[in-house]
Amino acid sequence: MSQGPVLELRGIDKSFGPVQVLHDVAFSVYPGEVTALVGDNGAGKSTLVKCIGGIHPIDAGEYFFEGEKVQVNGPRDAAALGVEIVYQDLALCDNLDIVQNMFLGRERTSGLVLDEAMMEEMAAKTLAGLSVRTVKSLRQQVSSLSGGQRQTVAIAKAVLWNSKVVILDEPTAALGVAQTAQVLELVRRLADNGLAVVLISHNMNDVFAVSDRIAALYLGRMAAQVRTSDVTHSQVVELITSGRSGELGLRNGNGAAS
Amino acid sequence: MMRAGPSQEEIRKHNLGTLLRHVHLGGPTSRAELTTLMGLNRSTIMALTADLTAVGLVREELPRDTGRAGRPSLVVRPESARVYVLAFDVGVDRVAAARIGLGGVILDRREAVRQRGPFDMAEVVGMLAGFARQMHRKTRADTVCVGAAAAFCGAVRKSDGVVRIGPNIGLEEGPFGDELSRKLALGLPVAVGNDANLGALAEHTRGIGMGCRDLIYLHGDVGIGGGIVVNGQLLGGFAGYGGEVGHMVVNLGGRPCGCGSRGCLEAEVGERALMEHAGRYGEAIGRDGVRAVVDAADRGDVVAQEALQRVGDWLGLGVANLVNVFNPEMVVFGGMLRELYLGSAAQVRSRINTVTLAASRERLRLRTSVLGDDATLMGAAELAFAQVLADPLEVLARFAP
Ligand SMILES: Nc1ncnc2c1ncn2[C@@H]1O[C@H](COP(=O)(O)OP(=O)(O)O)[C@@H](O)[C@H]1O
Ligand SMILES: [Mg+2]
Ligand SMILES: [Zn+2]
Repeated sequence: MSQGPVLELRGIDKSFGPVQVLHDVAFSVYPGEVTALVGDNGAGKSTLVKCIGGIHPIDAGEYFFEGEKVQVNGPRDAAALGVEIVYQDLALCDNLDIVQNMFLGRERTSGLVLDEAMMEEMAAKTLAGLSVRTVKSLRQQVSSLSGGQRQTVAIAKAVLWNSKVVILDEPTAALGVAQTAQVLELVRRLADNGLAVVLISHNMNDVFAVSDRIAALYLGRMAAQVRTSDVTHSQVVELITSGRSGELGLRNGNGAAS
Repeated sequence: MMRAGPSQEEIRKHNLGTLLRHVHLGGPTSRAELTTLMGLNRSTIMALTADLTAVGLVREELPRDTGRAGRPSLVVRPESARVYVLAFDVGVDRVAAARIGLGGVILDRREAVRQRGPFDMAEVVGMLAGFARQMHRKTRADTVCVGAAAAFCGAVRKSDGVVRIGPNIGLEEGPFGDELSRKLALGLPVAVGNDANLGALAEHTRGIGMGCRDLIYLHGDVGIGGGIVVNGQLLGGFAGYGGEVGHMVVNLGGRPCGCGSRGCLEAEVGERALMEHAGRYGEAIGRDGVRAVVDAADRGDVVAQEALQRVGDWLGLGVANLVNVFNPEMVVFGGMLRELYLGSAAQVRSRINTVTLAASRERLRLRTSVLGDDATLMGAAELAFAQVLADPLEVLARFAP
């Protein structure tokens, strides 16, 4: 567990036109661990994740992957490093089945020619490796799946290509209790299988249930990155709402970094 | 007087059991791997495998798909479809029976809802024996049952399987193992263990805790049970009552407990406490009840949120005490505690983080059960397999048709 970070950002700035959304953000994620990324609405979580995924170009700052400084100029660069993001809207095709969805947009990037049977086998192995037993048939159309099952398919798609970092943007937001439990267990299992996982969530029970570290964004600044075993619920809530909590967090109220 | 060293026969018995245990727990294993795992030479492994194959406990075959070119080496697999045990589980709201093959494969399974109320030994035993008969009728002639065991939600005396007290199911001093064995009429004794202890065994051997030598399993089923694994061994205690963490007092003078004391972990964290705090006692029971409260809390119901916070706080305190005493590598939440932990983890972990020694918790992993509703049943199966794993040839000779 004392390995170095697989992905590390330093000094990230990002503006949309005149509005600066991220200020000098540092962020590290570790293999085998779940890092929860928390912050109020508008704090910049999704923007940070899109910078990691190469959707948004960064204005300033450095991006390290496995200790090497890298340039990520688009989603393909991120995917090539092994960074996968499951966005809030999931981007699954309703009229395709599970296997087709898992390989959608990937046939070409892999450089392999895959037949249907091979794809089905790979999909089945991935789902089995995640101990997913909730889907009946891999040839089911995605439109027939529940919210939790859709989330599961999207996550399985993200880990299919030996990814190293998987980022989940509010995967439990729209789910009921039973499905939330399944997705949380899946998130934990990804990390226990050795992946670095980033979980964005507003639900403090979800965060404390599965995370090893918590990174709190406040008004576009990284207020603190802490180990989950070192903090309490109320400290994390303070970091989210005011950017600081006792010794932790930003030094002054207007959000200048400590 | 000096004790003589083990005889050739004892060494062989031990090696046969060890090899069988490897394929029982690890699944199909090549001879080469067994050679390394057991630290014996190839010819010894071959001889042991031949002995186990001859009596039909294992079989050797080519691996299914190696994906590699060249001649694949033979793997030794357990004869899961042929050699099995009967496993039973008696929970407050459910009784279950299963036929579980060597290797931990559930071959057949039956369960029924148990109505709450006084424990009716004849009814429960009759139901389980009926399940066993139904499953037995469907087996092939060459199958062999090598043991039977039951998980029970109460404190069980190790020596004779008598349930001393099961406060949540209303049984005291019940010779459950003997009664079930008699009703089964298969000439098999039925070993009985505490459900949480057996759940711990199952999660440790084939669940989320595989490879963890120090683990605590907490099982929620109206009350709270516990199973503690220390250095790879289940902590049984002097007479079998070890691990009853549900009756660890966390709140002196607190809520009354079914055991007669007050402020026990299960009195503060059990189903009744949660449902009463949420103002929903009597509305729903079991997992449905816990889910209803977590669901209401998610939707913003303040009473439900406070109920979960209160209960989560006590659960955290209970776990914290265990962490300070045992320094486990993992704590597993099973049964209804799965839902309760996930729904109150902020409270649970905050409490753990404030009252444990930093050194004791820094590498602690908190996890939910992966075996879920089968954990206790799978644990019973492990108990039932214990004999054949200790002396494979003798046990098989005794039970073979
Ligand atoms: N594409 C965009 N163009 C302009 N402003 C944006 C864009 N994306 C996000 N923002 C702004 O950036 C801020 C941070 O948003 P976001 O990263 O979505 O926050 P979070 O995910 O933490 O709720 C918000 O003020 C939002 O309006
Ligand atoms: Mg967002
Ligand atoms: Zn008690």
